[in-house]
Amino acid sequence: MPISDKNIMNRLYLVAGVLVVFAIAVVVKLVDIQMVKGSKYKAKAVQKTEKMFTIEPSRGNIYADDGSLLAASVAKYEIRFDANTVKPKVWEEHLGPLCDSLGKLFHKPSSHYRQVLRKARANKNGYKLIARNVSYLEYARMRTFPMFRLGPNKGGFIEHHKVVREYPMGKMAARSIGYERVDDKGYYTRVGLDGAFGKTFLRGQEGKRLKQKSAGSRWKPVGFDNIIEPKDGQDIVTTINTNIQDIAHHALLGQLEKYKADHGCVVVMETETGEIKAISNLGRTEEGKYYEKLNYAVGESHEPGSTFKLMSLVAALEDKVVDTSTVVDTEKGRWRIYDRTVKDSKWGGYGEVSVAEAFALSSNTAFAKIIHENYKERPERFVDRLMNMGLHEDLQLPIVGEGQPVIRYPGDEGWSGISLAWMSHGYEVAMTPIQTLAFYNAVANDGIMVRPRFLKEARIGGKAIRRFNKEVLNSSICSQETVKKAQKLLKDVVEKDFGTGNGLYSSSFSMAGKTGTCQKNYVAQDPDKLAYISSFVGYFPADQPKYSCIVVIHEPDKSVGYYGADVSGPVFKSLAQKIYSNSPVVDEVAPGNTIQNKLEENYNSYYAEARKAHQNIPNVKGMSGMDAISILENMGIQVEVRGNGKVKSQSVEVGKKLENIKKVVLELS
Amino acid sequence: MKKGVLDILKGKFLVSGDAPKNWLFLFFASFLATLMISSSHRADQKVIEIAALTEEVRALRSEFVAKRQELQQIRLESTLRQQVVDNGLKPAAMPPQKIRVKTEE
Repeated sequence: MPISDKNIMNRLYLVAGVLVVFAIAVVVKLVDIQMVKGSKYKAKAVQKTEKMFTIEPSRGNIYADDGSLLAASVAKYEIRFDANTVKPKVWEEHLGPLCDSLGKLFHKPSSHYRQVLRKARANKNGYKLIARNVSYLEYARMRTFPMFRLGPNKGGFIEHHKVVREYPMGKMAARSIGYERVDDKGYYTRVGLDGAFGKTFLRGQEGKRLKQKSAGSRWKPVGFDNIIEPKDGQDIVTTINTNIQDIAHHALLGQLEKYKADHGCVVVMETETGEIKAISNLGRTEEGKYYEKLNYAVGESHEPGSTFKLMSLVAALEDKVVDTSTVVDTEKGRWRIYDRTVKDSKWGGYGEVSVAEAFALSSNTAFAKIIHENYKERPERFVDRLMNMGLHEDLQLPIVGEGQPVIRYPGDEGWSGISLAWMSHGYEVAMTPIQTLAFYNAVANDGIMVRPRFLKEARIGGKAIRRFNKEVLNSSICSQETVKKAQKLLKDVVEKDFGTGNGLYSSSFSMAGKTGTCQKNYVAQDPDKLAYISSFVGYFPADQPKYSCIVVIHEPDKSVGYYGADVSGPVFKSLAQKIYSNSPVVDEVAPGNTIQNKLEENYNSYYAEARKAHQNIPNVKGMSGMDAISILENMGIQVEVRGNGKVKSQSVEVGKKLENIKKVVLELS
Repeated sequence: MKKGVLDILKGKFLVSGDAPKNWLFLFFASFLATLMISSSHRADQKVIEIAALTEEVRALRSEFVAKRQELQQIRLESTLRQQVVDNGLKPAAMPPQKIRVKTEE
């Protein structure tokens, strides 16, 4: 083809055309990237360099009333070892000492660690687990170990930590202090106080912060708008007293072990304020050990048995259907009502007794008769009275899972002709231990029923921001007259010779309370399955009650014993005894006005003698023995005394040099 | 246009008659640049410091709880009782008596 202008131009057009098409393609792609997929790519770019971080707040602590820690969030460490990074020289030099240190810390032979670490090095393991759940103090020690102290790059020391909840009192009151857990779906498991007050106080608020990737793998915060500061959770101060809790826990544990019981609980409450000072719940494992299994005191509603006689009696006294002096025939311990028989624990019954005696003796027949005979025409009157005292309502405790009380109303399902008689001594009704305690506490507190309370205050950084005060549930559960009678009767249970609680009586301190021995699993009518609930509830001191307390022990070994006074009573008594012996008795005396001249003179002469720097034996004749001994012994001489009174003679003469004298014998008269 | 570019390359704006004004601006601009760089460094420094402080807080907190736990455990009556039982000591059964002398105000 000849080369002509036209030819050249054609080629040029072709090239230009291709270029234009290419340019258009570039523009199209540009528009596509920028406009159509633009937002997606921009987000991707940001994601690589910017990230929203969540800052976890630290959870509030739980304190006891004296400031002891009950629960706190702390870091626990996991220690791993990079066996590849350590230089051969360091390895040779430090392996032995490191294994010795590790062995000492974790109570394992040094050879164990030598083997583990050697194997890790041989397998080129860069992430060998050394220990889990290491406390800070242990971690701090490990950081100083040979080889480890060289750090992650030269020493191969790798640590990870996570925040866990720590309970400094160990297993004590564990169920009541509780915990809060959240699963992947955001569902919370809330146990005890930690769970109850998690949302309101302890949790705090998560913080958010936008961060940008900076040098290395470090992230640095950007901007001011994207910051939400985390708010740490508030601390809560509970009413639990570690001392009383300690005593309660160990006393309960001792009785449970002695009686091989299934489970039990004890609650101590301050009478006036309703503050729970101790709450212990122990359940048995298959191996026969006990631990805080469930919160029985709060959650387990059961037939209370004889401790309910107080409620029945208060109702009857309030309605004036009986008085404490009214005489009842206990019908030889067996009283038939319709097709059933109410039995007393004492074969043959107690004969004719007053209502007050029936209460102290805990006679079932007497109570069944009192309530049945007086209310059978209008049973709703009795039930209304119980309900007026608030016995059918729960206490609205903050701890999740409070058991519901059961008080049936005439006509309700399960109500029958024998209901009154059975309710009178604590069957066909159900209450939780803490609900029963609240009622006894009201009697101790002159009729004022207060809500059992676990919280004293909420704090931020040691400063109280909210205080919790006592809450009155019922300012008067019954008349003052009835309260006084009930208080007297509760005192009699322990003080009278025939009272069921007389075995607990102590001449040095006073208690008032009621025993309860309730049958359990009786429906099956199988003597093997029949078990007992032994309880004791009351308060101390009897006259000006400071604390009320309930002890409930389920299913003690029948061959060892099952009566409330024997099984549960001792726990109650040891608490009463301890609190009594820990409260100093203060005697106030007026100072003597006359200055005793003789005494003053004696003292001055002794003081003058004692101050002298003696070289020779002083004259101690005529001094009181006490003064003479102190003067001579202060000079380094051994003193032997015969008789008592004033010094009649001294074995070493006055004025002898001290140096050679080791012993002086004083004759006193 | 060509002349303008050449002038800049020759650095004429640094030496011509109204150069001091340009110098002032240059100083200002470099001052701003220094400020920016240093504050960015300071921010980085702060991040490192915060990380170190957070670590310290965590360590102190854990140490506090660990020591506190130890103290609380040995302070308990049940622990004390076991420790002194070999010395023949046991908790008192009777309360301590305090005698308070009333003084006249």
